Amino acid sequence: MPDLSVTFAGITFKNPVVPASGTWEPLDAPDTGLAMSELGAVVNKTIFKEPRAGNPPPRIWETASGMLNAIGIPSAGADDFIKKKLPKIRKHADKVIVSIAGYTADEFAWLAKKIEQTGMADMIELNLSCPNIESHTSWSTDPALLAQAIVAVKKAVKLPVIAKLSPNVTDIAEMCLVSESSGADALTLVNTFRGMAIDIKVKKPALGNIFGGLSGPAIKPLALYAVYTAYERVKIPIIGMGGIASWQDALEFILAGATLVGIGMYTFVNPLCMRHVISGLSNYCSEQNIEKLSDCIGKAHPAT
Amino acid sequence: MPQTVTASLIKIITVLHEPDGYIDLILYNPSIAKNAGPGQFVMMKAAPVNDPILPRPFDIVDTFPREGTFRLLIKINGRGTALMNSLKPGDDVFITGPLGKPITDFSFSSCAVLFRGCGAAAVLMFIREAKKRGITVYGIASAASSDKLVCKSEISALCDEYLVATDDGSLGLQALGTEVLKNIVEGEGVDRIYSCGGGPFYLPYLMEVQDRLPVYLFLESYMGCGVGHCHGCAVPKKSRPGDPVQYTLVCQEGPLYKLDEVEDPCQIYQ
Ligand SMILES: Cc1cc2nc3c(=O)[nH]c(=O)nc-3n(C[C@H](O)[C@H](O)[C@H](O)COP(=O)(O)OP(=O)(O)OC[C@H]3O[C@@H](n4cnc5c(N)ncnc54)[C@H](O)[C@@H]3O)c2cc1C
Ligand SMILES: Cc1cc2nc3c(=O)[nH]c(=O)nc-3n(C[C@H](O)[C@H](O)[C@H](O)COP(=O)(O)O)c2cc1C
Ligand code: FES
Repeated sequence: MPDLSVTFAGITFKNPVVPASGTWEPLDAPDTGLAMSELGAVVNKTIFKEPRAGNPPPRIWETASGMLNAIGIPSAGADDFIKKKLPKIRKHADKVIVSIAGYTADEFAWLAKKIEQTGMADMIELNLSCPNIESHTSWSTDPALLAQAIVAVKKAVKLPVIAKLSPNVTDIAEMCLVSESSGADALTLVNTFRGMAIDIKVKKPALGNIFGGLSGPAIKPLALYAVYTAYERVKIPIIGMGGIASWQDALEFILAGATLVGIGMYTFVNPLCMRHVISGLSNYCSEQNIEKLSDCIGKAHPAT
Repeated sequence: MPQTVTASLIKIITVLHEPDGYIDLILYNPSIAKNAGPGQFVMMKAAPVNDPILPRPFDIVDTFPREGTFRLLIKINGRGTALMNSLKPGDDVFITGPLGKPITDFSFSSCAVLFRGCGAAAVLMFIREAKKRGITVYGIASAASSDKLVCKSEISALCDEYLVATDDGSLGLQALGTEVLKNIVEGEGVDRIYSCGGGPFYLPYLMEVQDRLPVYLFLESYMGCGVGHCHGCAVPKKSRPGDPVQYTLVCQEGPLYKLDEVEDPCQIYQ
């Protein structure tokens, strides 16, 4: 058996495959056969401090090899998550990454601390694509705001902190550098790309929220570019995601420099996609006589 | 704990292209055939291509547990269903199901079931279950013309009365299905109304009559996963003025809703 384990920000994961936040709800959805324990880690749908209802419908729209979503991050809030969900995730998952967001830097820090105090999380992922209420821009599109949120969280907690960045910037590697120098222990690249569609039947924007985020195979080359360029510029490890549909896609991200890989919308296409990616990577290593998958990380870059 | 749902490649046994513009499939999966209940659906992806990418939701028309098979009836509509038009016996399709909440409430003694077009697909198992419990069922089938009536012989054989309304008068009354429904409500009378399809045409009467008797709708909404992962299928629940809006996931809590449980079904009910 090839060794699929990877070490990421000081923590060893048994394999590199994790769900992208907001795309796999093992506690709410009926069981389709994939167990939490099969995955490198379980990542929850981003929680805020307070409950959120989400956006008006239509919330999703199919596009060429992808989909737009404007779900609006509905959740029952932090207390409900900590009481009802986190203990069950902790019980079944090998590793637990808790995704959080806040409208202010203080809220980010408060929530990170609250999660750390449960003792049930291995890492915290900051969803920095949501808006800051004071500036109405997303945290990860403004270097000063980005630094503010990460610094506040790092002051509040000892757990490793992952900055999940938006690709809707001119130079994402620049934002990766800002995250690293602000103390982030790792990066998640990328969240969805901003986009929209018009429903020609009614001559109106297709999504209830007008604008949404594009995900799926349509964004894979863009996401891969983000990971590859970030890997060249920063030392902290990366969770790569954006359009992964197969083990071959996952391997591309690993070769580009990702240590862990996230699968998002393809779980909607095939609820067992993450399992297929894990077994595909394992078979690939066996056939290629690769003892440790981690030897492949960043191998697409010229040797230094 | 939630039920176990099949997610796998499933073989097509037979394909019929009738009526025109529909495909009528029998598929082999003993687990779905055994476990599916009335009101449930599957997500189906006909080919392993990325464009179109999402699986499509279809009602489980009927199950044949002894043969290990179940039936789907698909109206050819846009790009995804157009691909399904070329399916042949022996082909494999990717299916996740059964999904949605099976209907278990049969605590009434008579009902009218109104359906238009492929709405018939959602109601057949429900009507059979109701008949098993001795419930009186008035089936009201509506379509543009008589050749667009689906599952006619199966549903008419189950119902105590089977009434037809066509837009062109080629069979039954030349009227909206709701006009036939109104005659029953005001004549013989029923305990409940169930309605599937017809959208905005049916709603004005359904909204009006719900003050007198409970009205239930089979809702449709855009679905990403059909399971509960994406939150894409949410529709707003009825809320009191001033209260914050809350949503329900059609793929988990539906597809059947009482009309007064959901907000402004005109917008979401197509
Ligand atoms: C619970 C449920 C049960 C259904 N049962 C049946 C059935 O038994 N037989 C049948 O013929 N049809 C049924 N439908 C409608 C069917 O899912 C759509 O006709 C189909 O998804 C359209 O796909 P397309 O590729 O033809 O259209 P496209 O226009 O290519 O679809 C684009 C996207 O929009 C979605 N979409 C388009 N129209 C609808 C619609 N009316 N409802 C929901 N999503 C839509 C598609 O799923 C896809 O994601 C059901 C829908 C739901 C929600
Ligand atoms: C329906 C949906 C919901 C999402 N919700 C979240 C979320 O709550 N938090 C978050 O950080 N990212 C969220 N994302 C973004 C994904 O985690 C991921 O970054 C993105 O979809 C790219 O990966 P993919 O192409 O594999 O889907 C969501 C994506 C989708 C499609
Ligand atoms: S369709 Fe994905 S949650 Fe209902």
